[in-house]
Amino acid sequence: MIQLILILLLSTAFFILLYVFVRRSSARAEGGAEALVEARQALNALQDNLLPSELVRRIFAREDLNFVSSSASGKIRGAFLRERKRVALSWVSQLRKHVLRLKQFHSGRSRFYAQLDLRTEIALALSFASLLFVCRVLEAVFYIRGPFAAPRIVGAAIAVAGDICAASELSLAFLSSPAPAPNLAGGGSTHAGTI
Amino acid sequence: MGTLTKRMDVQKAAEDVRLRTLARIPRLLDRFIYLASLRDYNTGLYHHEGLAARFSPEVACEALADCHREVYRQLLSCSLEDLVKQMEGYLESSHSSPHEFLSVWKGIEPYRVAVPVDTDSFSAKFLFSNFRIALAIVEERLAAPRCSAQSA
Repeated sequence: MIQLILILLLSTAFFILLYVFVRRSSARAEGGAEALVEARQALNALQDNLLPSELVRRIFAREDLNFVSSSASGKIRGAFLRERKRVALSWVSQLRKHVLRLKQFHSGRSRFYAQLDLRTEIALALSFASLLFVCRVLEAVFYIRGPFAAPRIVGAAIAVAGDICAASELSLAFLSSPAPAPNLAGGGSTHAGTI
Repeated sequence: MGTLTKRMDVQKAAEDVRLRTLARIPRLLDRFIYLASLRDYNTGLYHHEGLAARFSPEVACEALADCHREVYRQLLSCSLEDLVKQMEGYLESSHSSPHEFLSVWKGIEPYRVAVPVDTDSFSAKFLFSNFRIALAIVEERLAAPRCSAQSA
């Protein structure tokens, strides 16, 4: 009886592996136009709208809080903290959303367009995992202690997000390059392009 | 080649707007409102007769859109203190009654339609939030002398 259960378990695991393998090998690059566009949009949103240092510095600028505390009533200070908390939560939620999109692209289709080596892929996977975790931590901190409570964690999130953007830029570089399907393994431009 | 020439014309026209027009407008907020006022609400196209005559309506439109985006980004980078000062200056120069001005800006929020067309929603949300706080501070400052006068 135990042998039968073992055989059943092993065969089930084998079929699952086979299914995953067949699915991965049957996926085609040409079917991924939508995924490409979504990844490019997510990358543009991160680079242009969420990660510019001047904007992030402004959102989390303590000088604004100091100014409101010194020159306005407690009522306005409360309103300011509520407004800035809402903005900070929106920032981190959008950051997380776009990073998730890029993660989906990398785990699904990026290997069709860029030859990233195993080490880079592992480093990228770790960066995604750590950034998504940090985003959750930031959400909790902003929610409980307000938008000015974790400047270092914000800085760390921006640094990891910058690394992810640079790696994604490599995977998507051929979209902005004049030559089709270049070999991307040896590095390349990191400026944002358009599709 | 045509695209490149057009781009160069747009840059030249934008420089013209910066030097001849925007340089004479003292505050960023005033420049922002001015540039938004040159845009047709229905089509989203910018109109400026002088600039269109010097270049072309299309080039003028693109140059004004570029300037509008530039001023918008500069406004986003302003500290809250700076924004309050600009709002007070704008209120003074508008020659309207402060009470009326504040009630319209708080109620209708006209700045919402003043952002460039392709603005991302997050930065717009951040700017509107700063405007709301700046307005509240301006309102409180205007009310403060009245309150102290009444209590005296």
